[in-house]
Amino acid sequence: MSVLLQVEALSVSANDVTLLEPLSLSLKTGEALTILGETGAGKSLLVQAIMGLLPSPLQARGRVLLDGQDIGRLKPALRARLWGRQLAMLPQEPWHALDPLMPAEQQVAEVYRYVGGLSAPDALERSRQDLAGVGLAGAAERLPGHLSGGMAQRLAFCAATAGGAPIVLADEPTKGLDASRRDQVAALLRRARERGAVLTVTHNIEVARQLGGHILVMRDGRLVEQGEAEELLARPKDGYTRALIGADPQHWPDITPTDGAAREPVLTVRGLHKSRGGRLLFEGLHMTVGRGEIIGISGDSGCGKSSLGDILLGLLPADGGEIRRAPQIARHRYLKLYQDPPAAFAPGIPLGRLFDDLIGLHRLDRRRLAPLLQRLRLDPGLLQRTSVAVSGGELQRLAIARALLLEPLLLFADEPVSRLDPITAREVIALLVQSATEQDCAVLLVSHDLELLRKTCHHVVSLGGRA
Amino acid sequence: MTRRLLGLRRGQLAGLVLIAALVCFALLEGLLHGADPASQDLANPFAGPSLSEPLGTDQYGRSMLARLAAAVRLSLALSLLCVVTSATIGVAMGVVAGWRQGLLDKCMSLLLNIALALPGLVLVLLFASLAPGSFLMLYVGISAVLWVEYFRVVRAITRRVAASPQVQASRMLGFGALYCVRRHLWPAIVGPVLTLAAFGASASILALAALGFIAVGLRPPTAELGLMMVELFPYYNEAPWVLAQPILAVFLLVLGLNLLAGGEE
Amino acid sequence: MMTLVAKRLLQAALMIWSIGTLSYVLMRLLPGDMAFRIAAGRYGYDNVNLAASEAVRAELGLDRPAWQQYLAWLADLVRFDLGDSLVSGLPVAHEVSHLVLHTLQLAVAAFACAVLLALPVGLFAAFRAGGWFDRCSLVASAFLRAQPVFVIGLALVLLFSLHLKLFPVAGFNGSKYLVLPAVSLALVMAAVSSRVIRHSAVGVIRSAFFDFSRVKGLSFAQSFWRHGVRNAALPVVAFLGIQFAGAIEGIVMIESLFSWPGVGHGLAHAVFNRDVPMIQAAAMALGLIFVGLNLLVDIACYLIDPRERTEP
Repeated sequence: MSVLLQVEALSVSANDVTLLEPLSLSLKTGEALTILGETGAGKSLLVQAIMGLLPSPLQARGRVLLDGQDIGRLKPALRARLWGRQLAMLPQEPWHALDPLMPAEQQVAEVYRYVGGLSAPDALERSRQDLAGVGLAGAAERLPGHLSGGMAQRLAFCAATAGGAPIVLADEPTKGLDASRRDQVAALLRRARERGAVLTVTHNIEVARQLGGHILVMRDGRLVEQGEAEELLARPKDGYTRALIGADPQHWPDITPTDGAAREPVLTVRGLHKSRGGRLLFEGLHMTVGRGEIIGISGDSGCGKSSLGDILLGLLPADGGEIRRAPQIARHRYLKLYQDPPAAFAPGIPLGRLFDDLIGLHRLDRRRLAPLLQRLRLDPGLLQRTSVAVSGGELQRLAIARALLLEPLLLFADEPVSRLDPITAREVIALLVQSATEQDCAVLLVSHDLELLRKTCHHVVSLGGRA
Repeated sequence: MTRRLLGLRRGQLAGLVLIAALVCFALLEGLLHGADPASQDLANPFAGPSLSEPLGTDQYGRSMLARLAAAVRLSLALSLLCVVTSATIGVAMGVVAGWRQGLLDKCMSLLLNIALALPGLVLVLLFASLAPGSFLMLYVGISAVLWVEYFRVVRAITRRVAASPQVQASRMLGFGALYCVRRHLWPAIVGPVLTLAAFGASASILALAALGFIAVGLRPPTAELGLMMVELFPYYNEAPWVLAQPILAVFLLVLGLNLLAGGEE
Repeated sequence: MMTLVAKRLLQAALMIWSIGTLSYVLMRLLPGDMAFRIAAGRYGYDNVNLAASEAVRAELGLDRPAWQQYLAWLADLVRFDLGDSLVSGLPVAHEVSHLVLHTLQLAVAAFACAVLLALPVGLFAAFRAGGWFDRCSLVASAFLRAQPVFVIGLALVLLFSLHLKLFPVAGFNGSKYLVLPAVSLALVMAAVSSRVIRHSAVGVIRSAFFDFSRVKGLSFAQSFWRHGVRNAALPVVAFLGIQFAGAIEGIVMIESLFSWPGVGHGLAHAVFNRDVPMIQAAAMALGLIFVGLNLLVDIACYLIDPRERTEP
């Protein structure tokens, strides 16, 4: 096997602060290399440094050898000539990477035309073949705005690889995709591997497993551990790698609270149905939620999970059916946790003042706050800061604390950890379930990850299947 | 990285200093110098700068220092009045229309559509023709033009905030509408409104000068910057420095306000 | 597409109604007896007497209650009967139609100059964002924007007419007279739009889809042509709608300064003379030009942006 890409002691720094410690790797024909790590591990910097796409204050050192030539020393214009022809890169956010005004097939055809040198009709023909090959034949003339996240990622894959580059670099290619769409992208990357080599950056253990090959685990810009995929995932040596693998819901212990005696219902739903945009989201939905019960709601994106929550909480009218709450309970004891924690707090105002507002409004006992924060492993000093100055995991736990202060009967948690790193996500879910159970508060936990729900919920309701 | 002072960028700070200097000039002249801007001295036209008349005199021998300061005071006062009035009306209507939506919103948007069908200066001209030479009509006309921007911007922000998860979360926690306006809406609109206010002030100063220049604004012998330019233009050969004074004053006022607004949109 | 046209038509109708109403109020506010004034306009102040003014009053129904007169005024509007000038006594519609042609001539020339100026400046500043050219064009634009339009016109007159004697000072007699007013207007328009073009182009060049186009293998020029132009044009064209408001304000001032026989000059003149029918007609003409330009902008955006046309 010939070496396609050789990286020697590549490091990235900004104004003398090292963001990526010197790292060496090599990529051979037919090989898959996966870099695993959480946000801020410097994985994306590595890909950008190989491509020559580092934004201005960042600087790369070390050597990047392509066919024995150090491309790090090439002038930018010459280096750009490698793009598409030698090195292909899959974008992190396909929706943003596609021209919003250009039909899908054109965005692939132009590569065949301007990079491959084909005539316009031939290029379009090749483009249509490619799109049909990834199941996008029906969407060839659509604009990117009318594609789903998974479709956009497949289109971006076709466009990125149409130039014929043997090496494909993929930066978090499954970000924001649910399980079935994630698997489609992983399959595409396996196909690219057969034609050359693939270097993938991801925080998703499952993607790494499906791609196989060699894995590098990174943390804080440093290599932690490396090895063959099967071996490393089965028997991780480093503590961090173990935590990362353990954070995948597959490896969670079952943390479902022990089922108590018969529970009085806090919410009863009979024959609920709702359509949106001419599409039926659900019909004939029956559900009873008892006190302190943890119920999972699963389904692919767009199946109406969030709409269901809004209907149950009285924020959105249903098309029909009946929703009954426990009698004589104040509205504010049915609450919601949001997918994007910063979106649920007033920005620019210290969190402590927001908590004071709440305590004042409901004349709560201020002394309850400190133990609650402690229970959620939150430093009281965080209250001095504003919501933008706190990490996502901390903010989501603060949101849980804010809700639990009101002693709710029901908490609708809408994908509460999908924007968090895996290790943080596991911790937040565990704390949510435990602390809610201690207060005898029912939780409706929404997730696209069925495995996560199985490990945490008393039972799971599946929505849609039509999506 | 740009350094910040009082939360302002460097350009904005320069604008603030410029405007503060002009305000000081206009007010201090009134307090310390205090000459009558209309008092003529026909024996002494276009006198050069001297100790008693640092900026010289105009074609009727009137003190340019007094006239310029009076004109700047007039421009600043008018722009302040117009901005406060139009901002109050525009913000209030924008918040109501954006928050409540429905019929009220539709009515206000219709009003907006009419106002948007006419270029601002034409509307001001129409008002000016109702009562020629009246400060009041200029004030009403300019305010009638300026409120539109506040309404549009505030309505759009209000709609976005009202539909946002942060407001939904606060409502669910039991907070009332007033709390949401104070904690969520007000912080979101105050910045854009201040920017619009600075732009609005410069627009009203330009409109006042423009009307004076085409002889449909305030009447002589009022010391007004546009009027002064027309009156002095025929003498530009004899006294270019006198003509330059009102031009420079408008330039500095508008530049200062534009810089304060943040320069580029 | 038809909804765009319908919306603008409605806007035009509302605009005509509001100007008509304002003009009616204006008419009532004029000092002195209206019938006497109209009679004087017809027969001259020396020949007018009480009998003549009473005849006019009866003929025009000026003794009817105010609301009836208001309805009659609006009815005249609907029939495009804009009345006679209080100054010249000639039909206003005829006079204004001449003025409109001159204004359009000036506007087209100014717009063409502005495009020729703003497009290269804005694009070059964008390609070298942060460079010396970008900074210089920013300073020049800020400088121009801090002047009333007529000061720029004055400066050009001083330089090119009075000192260099290249162009006539004012008036209307051949293409030489067009140069200075058109250039003054163009400078003001270009000062704003060059920055809008620059920002919009920089936004596109820094966008993820532009980067991705380069990564796919297309050159900078190919990427800019295929993905940059259309995406950058959209905000620029949309902004034109706002800019036309400024342009028409500029036209009022520039026409007055250069004695250009256009609607803006006519309006300013009419306001000065309190010639209400003329004010009404000139303001409506400017309003219609403005709404018409906005309709063109709407249609241009519709044609540029395929998202507007396809079903979601």
